[in-house]
Amino acid sequence: MRRRERVFVVLLSPALLVLAVVTLAPFAFLLLTSLTPLNLARPATWWDLSRPLANFAELPEDGRFLNSLGVQLRLSFFTVLAQLLLGLGAALLLNRDSRVLEAVRALFIIPMVLPPIVVAIVWKVLFTPDISVLNWSLGVVGLPQPAWLADARLALPAIIVADVWEWFPFTLLMLLAALQMMPAEPLEAARIDGAGPWQVFRHVVLPLLRPAIVVTVLFRLIESVKAFPLIFIMTGGGPGTVTEATNYYAFLQGFNYSLIGFSAAISMVVLAGTFLVSYVIVRWVGAQVDVE
Amino acid sequence: MSSRRGVAGPIARRGLGRTLTYGASAALLVVTLFPVLWLVQVSFKTDVEAMRVPPSVLFVPTLDNYAAVFQGKFARSFVNSLIVSVSTTLTSMLLGVPAAYALSRASFGRSRGLALWVLTTRMAPPIAFGIPFFLAYRWLGLIDTVFGLLVIYLTFNLSLVMWMMRTFFDGIPRSLEEAAAIDGAGPLQAFARVTLPLSGPGLATTAIFCFVFAWNDFFYALVLTRSRTLMAPVAIVNFMNYEGWEWGRIGAAATLIMLPVVVFALAVRRYLIRGLTAGALKG
Repeated sequence: MRRRERVFVVLLSPALLVLAVVTLAPFAFLLLTSLTPLNLARPATWWDLSRPLANFAELPEDGRFLNSLGVQLRLSFFTVLAQLLLGLGAALLLNRDSRVLEAVRALFIIPMVLPPIVVAIVWKVLFTPDISVLNWSLGVVGLPQPAWLADARLALPAIIVADVWEWFPFTLLMLLAALQMMPAEPLEAARIDGAGPWQVFRHVVLPLLRPAIVVTVLFRLIESVKAFPLIFIMTGGGPGTVTEATNYYAFLQGFNYSLIGFSAAISMVVLAGTFLVSYVIVRWVGAQVDVE
Repeated sequence: MSSRRGVAGPIARRGLGRTLTYGASAALLVVTLFPVLWLVQVSFKTDVEAMRVPPSVLFVPTLDNYAAVFQGKFARSFVNSLIVSVSTTLTSMLLGVPAAYALSRASFGRSRGLALWVLTTRMAPPIAFGIPFFLAYRWLGLIDTVFGLLVIYLTFNLSLVMWMMRTFFDGIPRSLEEAAAIDGAGPLQAFARVTLPLSGPGLATTAIFCFVFAWNDFFYALVLTRSRTLMAPVAIVNFMNYEGWEWGRIGAAATLIMLPVVVFALAVRRYLIRGLTAGALKG
């Protein structure tokens, strides 16, 4: 048995070693960088640890950073909410034993597996007035045809629409899986007791779905920070800064203005949020949910 | 009260219910697929045709955009994307599959710390890895190289392989290996001769996920490459000039990029949840 264990250690070590080098080392490096005023245009700023917390102290003073948090919050809230409602509705709709629906379900996954850059282009096409079939249709029925992505009030909602479209298949799949795992007895018992469809849904189905809903929302919440290609292609953070989410702001600071140190500090904040939600998933939620 | 499927009952009831369900599903499907299909049809139009008002539904399709896309830099970037995605998939599998087997069979205790590590790295915003890798690669001369991308894709693909293959191995009964051990096979032989040949579908599924995640990446390719290792998703951006967007070519390039992904994804759709949640759920 001792020999067996030793074999396992040999099989496991290379992967763990590589994983540590490609994940833990960069993390340490990111942390270190966030403590320096590193500016690629000024070589002297490498390893300048004289004022380690300067970047973090600057964050609450930086109006553009605070604005980016607000944008991110709105983006995350509305996309996750809409994805949940749409995904739940679609899951209830598609949850039947039927060959046809089985085939249909497979096609619903397409938006979420597309390369994100393609999703961004798809919606850029639909929201650009020159070639937008959407705008043309609005014109036909006599409605105004806004320049979605150039309009400060409509740019963020446009990105939200694209993100909801891209990821509602995920909530659909997760909740459909949970629905199919659901035991039939409580539902039948409720119906025999005379509960109507809405009552059954509200008092039996929904409570049974709760763990799956929680975990789905948490996953979408983490991922909602990654809407990068949508923002990059559709609006570039504009007009002004109305679609400049935190992740995108960090990108601009680091790779457009070369303020790598400050960008690293913003990234640390985003990463902390990711870690927190991951912790909740692993510690409390993941173990209770079984989706198959 | 004859519905077999518990939950379907309250929502839809027999004949009328079924018609409504099918109708609503069809409507939702059309709305969902319309944006993609619209882009695909743009790829078969000339730029003049694409801008026509009202939009033309009946038109003479042209393959000019595809021809143009193949002649330019895009073809090269498509090959680059293939090379990088395949090589990172192979590397992740080579390192990750044995590790996953060890995690599945050995008693290392409840590895919750490892699960958190894997999930966090899988979910981390790309910028968090982008910055340190960018700095290190500038120093090491790995900016704009295939190897550089291969390594950064390991940050998500290696942990993905370990977690997904682990659940696949968990599903293969140990009794088979024990039987092999009685016949005198060592643990490595039992793994190579008994377990691995039974894991075909799991290996294929996991490899497809690795490929798709590398193929779909935009951020790292944008930040870590220039012209030599131009990747297909970044190459598309080149069709967006100051003079205007070349809609037809953008459509053609986008269609080409999404094609392999859609085919692969439909093949592994049963395991999508497992892949997308990095094995945090059994899915």
